[in-house]
Amino acid sequence: MDYSLNDEQLALQESFRKFCDNEIKPNADKLDKADHAEADKIMKQNFKKLAEFGYTGMCHEEKYGGSGKDLVTQCVAQEELARVCAATFLSVGGSLGLCGLPIAHFGTDAQKKKYLPKLISTDIIGSFGLTEPGAGSDAIGIKTTAEKKDDRYILNGSKTFISNGPIADIAVVMAVTGKPDEKGRNVSSFIVEKGMKGFSAGKHLDKMGYRGAPTSELFFDDCEVPTENLLGVENEGFIQAMKTLEYGRIGMATVALGIAVACMEESIKYAKERQQFGRPIGKFQMVGFKLSDMKVLTDVSRLLIYKAAWLKDTNSPEASTMASIAKLTASEASTQISSWAVQVHGGYGYMTEYPVERLYRDAKLGEIGEGTSEIQRLLIARDVLAKY
Amino acid sequence: MDFAFTDEQLAFREQVLKFSQNEIAPLSEEYDEKGEFCWEAWKKMGEFGLLGLHFPEEYGGAEADVVTSCMAAEALAEGGADGGLTLSWGAHTYLCADTVFVHGTPEQKEKYVSKLASGEWVGCMALTEPNAGSDAASVATTAVKKGDRYVLNGSKMFITNGPIADVCVVYASTDKEKRHMGISAFIVEKDYKGFGVSKTLKKMGVKTSTTAELFFDDCEVPEENVLGEIGNGFPMALQTLEWDRSALLAPFVGGMEFVLKECSRYAKEREQFGRPIAQFQAIQQKLADIKAFVEAARLLVYKVAWSKDQGKALNHMEAAVAKLFVGDWGMPAISEAVQLHGGYGYMHEYPVERVFRDTKLAQIGGGTSEIQRMIISRLLLA
Repeated sequence: MDYSLNDEQLALQESFRKFCDNEIKPNADKLDKADHAEADKIMKQNFKKLAEFGYTGMCHEEKYGGSGKDLVTQCVAQEELARVCAATFLSVGGSLGLCGLPIAHFGTDAQKKKYLPKLISTDIIGSFGLTEPGAGSDAIGIKTTAEKKDDRYILNGSKTFISNGPIADIAVVMAVTGKPDEKGRNVSSFIVEKGMKGFSAGKHLDKMGYRGAPTSELFFDDCEVPTENLLGVENEGFIQAMKTLEYGRIGMATVALGIAVACMEESIKYAKERQQFGRPIGKFQMVGFKLSDMKVLTDVSRLLIYKAAWLKDTNSPEASTMASIAKLTASEASTQISSWAVQVHGGYGYMTEYPVERLYRDAKLGEIGEGTSEIQRLLIARDVLAKY
Repeated sequence: MDFAFTDEQLAFREQVLKFSQNEIAPLSEEYDEKGEFCWEAWKKMGEFGLLGLHFPEEYGGAEADVVTSCMAAEALAEGGADGGLTLSWGAHTYLCADTVFVHGTPEQKEKYVSKLASGEWVGCMALTEPNAGSDAASVATTAVKKGDRYVLNGSKMFITNGPIADVCVVYASTDKEKRHMGISAFIVEKDYKGFGVSKTLKKMGVKTSTTAELFFDDCEVPEENVLGEIGNGFPMALQTLEWDRSALLAPFVGGMEFVLKECSRYAKEREQFGRPIAQFQAIQQKLADIKAFVEAARLLVYKVAWSKDQGKALNHMEAAVAKLFVGDWGMPAISEAVQLHGGYGYMHEYPVERVFRDTKLAQIGGGTSEIQRMIISRLLLA
């Protein structure tokens, strides 16, 4: 048993925190409020900066330009980025994680060589297309089809809520290739490139939070994808997607934690400075105790995230349920904490000038993205009922 | 980062779990109903070696580390032991015997620790008073030196094991002006002159752990029974928090794991509207939330235990976070467990009813949730 971070992790935490505070944080507010074109520009700059630091390669092998860090170490770094800019976290995670990881895990050597180095260097940006207008939590119900014709697949359908959709150069897309199957064994994944005939992205979708992270629909209109762009084996796409989402879940838990930590830090600062009735409001128990509960829930979230990541690093069969527990707990903690943070700030917290206003909007996605809280509870309960 | 237990720890945990399921759990309901201490369970725990687990072999212990001690407490509760028994164990072994072991003279250790470790004697700890609860430093009980003895006057309240204790570590003021730095600890034996015990107090939960008020009426304590240094009592009492936030919290984790098993079993057996209620999402939601609580609470408690094993001084932030979470997030979790059982959950026959009452103590005993929040917010704002 060892609850401590090792020296390398501690050093990374410190240096990356400094980097994030200096390079990413100053633009976080601008990114949130800029128009889409301006936001996309800032986001791409953030991608480059993070590539230079080495953040974008942490989850990938050295031979493709990554640094192959274990998941616990990745989580340590991720929390720092999430703490200063959740939107950047989401966009980068969408490219390197949701798009990059399935390529790394299931792709051919040729596919890995072709795409991973460029994703890591951020010369290209990736996205992940599973969700559809009619298939959210019920992901098995996707309707986009891929029909094999000679040396290519013809894709038809559409995807929605796709992170990086408007700026992505490639997308890992799930489409139906087989007969209807209740376990999703009729879905395959494809690497679709921008410029392939019949592939287009919709306009930016306007969101409550994460406003700096571009999101759109993807359209496939007799879209032609060469057979060599099939990812892994035909009809294994759903399993690939679920395995990818296990990482996504830990990622979503971590971004929720980062938001919560930022809320706590802002609240502590404000509660010390703000004077009412002749003393700092933090001295009042109804304010101070909110801070205490923020601390409890951030500590709990972090431990669950580390535990889930460690289980994944050690290939434990319990990793999946723990990832759900971490995601559920951290995201619900995050919405609760962000609400308290606004409350602690009073009227100022309702003003867009104060970061907690953005954090409050950002936090909500945690309970929705990468599997809603309801889906996490179903998964956790299924595990309990199977075990006991 | 490494969350693995050793094979040896896991094997021992399994033994304690079996022991609890076979020997202890069958006694829980009857004694909870009677509100009596269960000597049969106590003797068995002593024979099993649980009551002195972490002490060196010369005192009859197994020199278990803190993590292993927590695992034993967790497993006993997971096997179905009630929260009263585990509380009595905690107060006895960690709050009383360990304090003597850590701060006692060789003679004191010789005289008390082995007998406590075997369970032959029962120990208790007395800090709280009728008017000194959360404000623990304001103890009014006094100890005045007279010749070769100290004379104690005052009373202590809510003392776990009070009615059955042979030995009591008592905190009393030897210098009022110094407030908490004027508090000293004494080892008081039950037949010392002037020492009295009230009748057993009736409680909502943890009923098999008997509780009393203690009276000191010109109680004479020989000088050699001063524990540690005069004036050092308060730091000694605080030091017991290292155990209070680990080995005494662990049973709440194990208890909730026990409850989770009960809930899962019930949800699969119980049919309504033509199907097991486990198939309804509202039931699954409760199972998921209880499970999430157990996993989180376990991580917090073992972090405190692991830190103590590393020889680190108690991190008051971590300790308060663990205590607060176990209590304030544990109560909604056990409430959901009762709800899942419906009318049956409200009946004494079903163990969740007992655990509901037992769990409430986690928000009050050993420092209320409010005190934990005071500690945390002070540290955050410092």
